[in-house]
Amino acid sequence: MIPRECVTLTLMLTRRTFVGLGLALVARRTLAFGEAARLMFAQVRHGGRWDPRPDGLSRLAWEISKRTSIETSPMVKAMALADPELFRYPMAVLSSDQAFPPPADNEVSELRRYLSYGGFLLIDDASGTRGGAFEQSARQLVSRIVPAAQLGRVPRDHVLYKSFYLLEGPAGRVAATPDLEALELGGRLAVLYSGNDLVGALARDSLGTWEFEVTPGGELQREKSIRLGVNVAMYALCLDYKEDQVHIPFIMKRRRI
Amino acid sequence: MTALAAAVWLSFRGFRTEPAGRRRMALLVFRLMAALLVLVLLLEPGIELRAESRVRARVALLFDTSRSMKFPSAPSGPTRAEELQRWAAQHHADLAQLAARFQVDVYGFDKELQPADLGRLPTDPQGPSTDILGALNAAASGGTGGRPLAGLFVASDGADNAELSQGVSPAAAAELRRLNAPVFVLPVGAQALKDLAVEKIAVDDFAFVRNQVTVDVIVTARGFGSTEVPVVLRREGQVVAQKTIHIDGSRSRYELKLTFVPDRTGKFAFTVTVPVYDGEAIAQNNSRSFVLKVIRDRVRVLLVVGRPSWDVRFLRQLLKRDPNVDLISFFILRTPGDDPHSSQDELSLIPFPTQEIFQEQLKTFDVVIFQNFNHRPYRMSQYLDGIAAYVLGGDQSFSAGDYAGTPIEEVLPVALLPSGPTAVDETPAQVHLTESGRRHPITELATAGSQNESIWAALPRLPGLNTIGPLKGGAQTLLVSSEGRPILVIGEAGRGRVLALLSDSSWYWSFVAAGAQQGPRAYETFWHSAIRWLVRDPALTPMRVAAERPSFEPGGEAPALDVQVRGSDYGAAAGAQIAVVTSSATDPVPRPMGAALAGPDGSARVILPPLPAGAYKATVTAKRADGSAVGEAEDAFVVAPASRELIEAAPRPDLLQAIAEATKGRVVDTSDALATLPWRDPERVEVGQRTSKPLWDNWKVLALLCLVVGTEWTLRRRWGYA
Repeated sequence: MIPRECVTLTLMLTRRTFVGLGLALVARRTLAFGEAARLMFAQVRHGGRWDPRPDGLSRLAWEISKRTSIETSPMVKAMALADPELFRYPMAVLSSDQAFPPPADNEVSELRRYLSYGGFLLIDDASGTRGGAFEQSARQLVSRIVPAAQLGRVPRDHVLYKSFYLLEGPAGRVAATPDLEALELGGRLAVLYSGNDLVGALARDSLGTWEFEVTPGGELQREKSIRLGVNVAMYALCLDYKEDQVHIPFIMKRRRI
Repeated sequence: MTALAAAVWLSFRGFRTEPAGRRRMALLVFRLMAALLVLVLLLEPGIELRAESRVRARVALLFDTSRSMKFPSAPSGPTRAEELQRWAAQHHADLAQLAARFQVDVYGFDKELQPADLGRLPTDPQGPSTDILGALNAAASGGTGGRPLAGLFVASDGADNAELSQGVSPAAAAELRRLNAPVFVLPVGAQALKDLAVEKIAVDDFAFVRNQVTVDVIVTARGFGSTEVPVVLRREGQVVAQKTIHIDGSRSRYELKLTFVPDRTGKFAFTVTVPVYDGEAIAQNNSRSFVLKVIRDRVRVLLVVGRPSWDVRFLRQLLKRDPNVDLISFFILRTPGDDPHSSQDELSLIPFPTQEIFQEQLKTFDVVIFQNFNHRPYRMSQYLDGIAAYVLGGDQSFSAGDYAGTPIEEVLPVALLPSGPTAVDETPAQVHLTESGRRHPITELATAGSQNESIWAALPRLPGLNTIGPLKGGAQTLLVSSEGRPILVIGEAGRGRVLALLSDSSWYWSFVAAGAQQGPRAYETFWHSAIRWLVRDPALTPMRVAAERPSFEPGGEAPALDVQVRGSDYGAAAGAQIAVVTSSATDPVPRPMGAALAGPDGSARVILPPLPAGAYKATVTAKRADGSAVGEAEDAFVVAPASRELIEAAPRPDLLQAIAEATKGRVVDTSDALATLPWRDPERVEVGQRTSKPLWDNWKVLALLCLVVGTEWTLRRRWGYA
């Protein structure tokens, strides 16, 4: 019998093993090396309204933990771009629903250093408005990170869309833009721009109900948003793992289905 | 002459109307005589007197003094050189007869021509090579007194390894004809015509592990009928390739390719052999050895990951960027407890090919990295035997990964504890070098010791460590926390090496260090060195031995080994006792061959006794004065003749016959008398004394001229001419 990492593994295991595995999983999570071993998002604290979806990232972390093997922390670290502690959190999220003041030069310099040494920044436009004030602020910031570069469209066959789920395209609370955009550094996506309020689709209130309606696709679009969030986190941690030769035949087969 | 003839003709015209024929004739005669005398004065004739004697022609006798003449002339018979001596003794009178007719010059030849004494031909010839054509040319152009060459005589085995090694080419035939003298040849050792030899091996100096290696072999067979001959390639006695060639007697050279795939790195001695058949002229040339260094083209690394994490991400990125690493990685992206809210077809996940990786492909990897991997759900313990090298780390590893009691624990340098809440210690750990860590190449981030230590001390603290049991024998701790908790422990397991990193946060030394303005260099250097050490990169081997040369001459030359003794802690083992044993393809039993004491810097040179031809593996062990082992190292070398003289030593009467035919000489039998051979005997005289006597330089010629001219003038005037 070949153990599998997919659903079929559960079916092939005995009930006793399955119960054992469940216990081991719980035990494992109590053994983790503190927060450092878990995926914890850093929320960039900028001069504008930096936390438009206070619960969104925690919800994304929870979904990732529930759906994948990634260990996540429900905590979100809010910190300024110039904070040296930012380097303990290689995945950061910059968000707002309005314009934000341009960061200082030293902050841009630190962000450039953060990204060039392996950090990943998700920029999420919570306004969901194409060409809105936040988008303009974000584009200005990106142009200051690498002056000669600008955000470019992420092609649909990019590994980002197959890092865990097989996705057809971007998703979010709204469908304002048809594509994700990104800034590439050293052969990997270092900055990812979502114009559809990705985190907003995951936000819940204190009672656990969805905070925002998702349009125009409804709950199906919300599920796609969650899956995109999972894929983004998986990409940040695994980069182009799913482009290794061993995966290609399987992915090609499923794409055809 | 023309002017004189014209003058005579013109003068004749003046008296051709003379009616009296006698007068006309008389005038003509006198004028002709005058012209003749004038001509004599102009040409100044004389007489030369010479004393002449006849010269004897020269015969050059050439005797082969190359090393191939040491081989037997017949199976179990005398050597070719001894046979030649016997021939010379039997032909003493014959040669005296020849000397009576010709000037006889006697030469020995091998690489060059030199005068020789027929009574003292060497019984132990040492000539390094054989150049028959060069010797013939030199003998033909040599000699004294410009004597003509009546012919040349060559007594040799014909084992030429210079211009005639491939036979008499058209250019060589033309050169032989220019000798302008017959060459008579006496083939020596022609009775032992049967010989099978591995004449040539062509292979690169190094090969890549797990990549096919091709060895081009040329086998020569003389005197064989139709037969099948197995050609076997062995690595230190073990057969790695084999082919059978069909010998049909129609040709002497057979080319074939032997291929094999080396499965491990190192320096190895290989031998190509063909069987020794009854009646063969030379048994020594039926095998040839060579040394091949097998290196890695790229280090194949298998990375097995329990779950995506930042530690995995940074390590994988580093290995992917390294052009010397061929990385295959498997991440467990979903455990059985995870619910993706989707069907399998909506996921990009693939089955984890446990059996394929751990049963079929495992041996193709140089390094296996288990990173935060809990093997138990995948029932992999059955596959974990025989892995060459491991690196482990993370909260699902060691005790926490339930590795206790598995084959993994057997090779780990540390003992494991039963899995439980104490398997991980979350107390942050500041890294410090141990005494071993200060010398070890894995932890050498800077060449200066103090600088190295300060780099490690400045690295960010690790957020927690795996808890382990006691260290096993032979394990070395290179990094510890401030409180002495082990962080990095290494050890050896069989032919493999093990590195246990008791943390899953080495990425702190890259990204977090970059945030502290330190950059990721320490992280990258550490991992590159760790991989190199795990795969036994020769540059990081603590104890080394290297043969002075890859090949030594058999007999006489003593192989020398240079040994550098360092302990596993990389400290020089001064005064260590070094012992050398050798084994060969034909004698796999290790035989003590030498010993030495390491100098203050841990180095020593061991001179081995002269060894017979063969492929050897030298194993060097070093012990400290108290008897504790320091280490062991190996090297391979070959003892084999380097010159073609001893390799291509089979007698070649066919070549000698071709030389004779090209010069209109012939093949001589041992019973033939040299004096009766059809030598060329050209006439040649030598001029001793020479005297010249002029015939015109005297008064009589002048008086006669005056008389003739005067008589002619007188008659002409009397007969009425002007």
